[in-house]
Amino acid sequence: MNDTITAKSAPQSKKRRRLVQGGLLVVYILIMVLMVFTGRRHTILIDNKDAADGSYSAIDGMEVSIDNQESAEYYPGDRDKALVQGQRHTIQVTIFDDNTTIEQEFTVPLWSDMMIISVPKMVAGIEPWIEPFTMAEQIQEAQESGPPSGEMSFQSLGGVAPEEIELMQPSP
Amino acid sequence: MSAQKRLTTLFSRYAVVIIFVIITLVAIPPSGLSIKYIVQEIITRLGRNSFLVLALLLPIYAGMGLNFGMTLGAMAGQIGLIFAVNYGIANWQGLVFALLVGLPIAVLLGWIAGLVMNRAKGREMVTGYILAFFINGIYQFFVMYMLGSVIPMRNRAIVLSRGYGIRNTLNLESVRQSLDNIVMLRVAGYSIPVVTFIIIALLCVFVVWFKKTKLGQDMRAVGQDMAVAEAAGIPVEKTRIVAIIISTVLACAGQIIFLQNMGNLATYNAHDQTGFFAVAAILVGGASVTHASIINVFVGVMLLHAMFVVSPLAGQNLFGSAMIGEYFRQFIGYGVIALSLVLYAWRTRRAASDARLGLQGPQNDSVKGNGGQA
Repeated sequence: MNDTITAKSAPQSKKRRRLVQGGLLVVYILIMVLMVFTGRRHTILIDNKDAADGSYSAIDGMEVSIDNQESAEYYPGDRDKALVQGQRHTIQVTIFDDNTTIEQEFTVPLWSDMMIISVPKMVAGIEPWIEPFTMAEQIQEAQESGPPSGEMSFQSLGGVAPEEIELMQPSP
Repeated sequence: MSAQKRLTTLFSRYAVVIIFVIITLVAIPPSGLSIKYIVQEIITRLGRNSFLVLALLLPIYAGMGLNFGMTLGAMAGQIGLIFAVNYGIANWQGLVFALLVGLPIAVLLGWIAGLVMNRAKGREMVTGYILAFFINGIYQFFVMYMLGSVIPMRNRAIVLSRGYGIRNTLNLESVRQSLDNIVMLRVAGYSIPVVTFIIIALLCVFVVWFKKTKLGQDMRAVGQDMAVAEAAGIPVEKTRIVAIIISTVLACAGQIIFLQNMGNLATYNAHDQTGFFAVAAILVGGASVTHASIINVFVGVMLLHAMFVVSPLAGQNLFGSAMIGEYFRQFIGYGVIALSLVLYAWRTRRAASDARLGLQGPQNDSVKGNGGQA
């Protein structure tokens, strides 16, 4: 009788143990995932520049802080960065001209390392005012667009163009 | 026991502690450091190192000597930190993530170390030391070639310019002192990392509790006499493996605590001296190959690090070169280990000789008696 009970309870305890082990494994993985979500750090670039197409213009003077971190002052052409942790954040902008304060919430994608917030765009209500920022993409864009027409370059200052260098003969 | 013999026994048991106290006290005035500075440094180093040194206790209880193989756990912790930096996980969350990554690696390495040490009973210390060199080779291969080539790395800043392998030094700025700074208590001008000390205190409570459990009692029985423990039905080999696994896991956590305080990671050699300094600290605290307690850990960390703080400046001021102090530091570290091992061997031999003499005494009498009778 006792042997039968023991024989029956053995697989049950084994099953229970496996369930507990499986549960612990799930908890282990869940803690890891939680750490990734709450601990992932992102760089937020805060930009105060004019649009290339003139659709918005830089703010004359403002104070910006993200998640109640130490605020910084921005003037036209300024760009600075803030480090944030997690996905949901708040940006607070105080414009010096009319002393108005604008507060906006934003979300950063989990695997995005760097985002750029264009504050003039945000203030003007133009979407999207927050975009992913990749250094490689920026360099590529700059190379593809080339120098804007009318902008000063070394050639326009009277420098020697590369083709001209090839044509020039070495003087004796 | 005569007073002289008692004094000799006392000195031989605490020789290392006495020598260390004398050297440190002598070195303080020429170092020119204020007592306040030294105390603050000791508080910081207690938080930084105690966890690692506490990891040595369980193998000593299990009779496996000083676990030089704790370096394996340190490597596991470092791998965890590399992944935390790679995925950009900052603050204490980064430390927990590093621990969760390092934990299974530490368990695996601890299990391997336990298996190897069971095949080298009586020579666990040297086996652990050499095993650490062997696993170091695998670690170097993993970090230098696998990371970035087989295992993709997100953070290009930590990868070597050739595209795979991790840079020599990692900046742990994202997790730097994140545990210490959760609650930093300032008392009378001293900064005390409260959470770090709470974690160390919890580990001490765990060690005390663990010694009272069935497994803890088994470990002590195994440590006293393996043959008797085996005869009493204790699974000796399994108990020894568990002791080493726990020690390796604690070393993994200890290395993470150590590195978060330092703020940078020397990827390829941060773990090299981990076991060596932890062993030196516990020996300086008055522990031996067979006996150690929590008190030994704290006394050892305080004394060793007090000496570490004052010796370079004392060397600088006395001999005109800080390098003298640095050499002195190395010399003292290795010297302490050598002296402790020699004293331990001497004490064991003397105890055996005393026991033999004790047995011979009555035997001689009986022989004499028999002779008389004959």
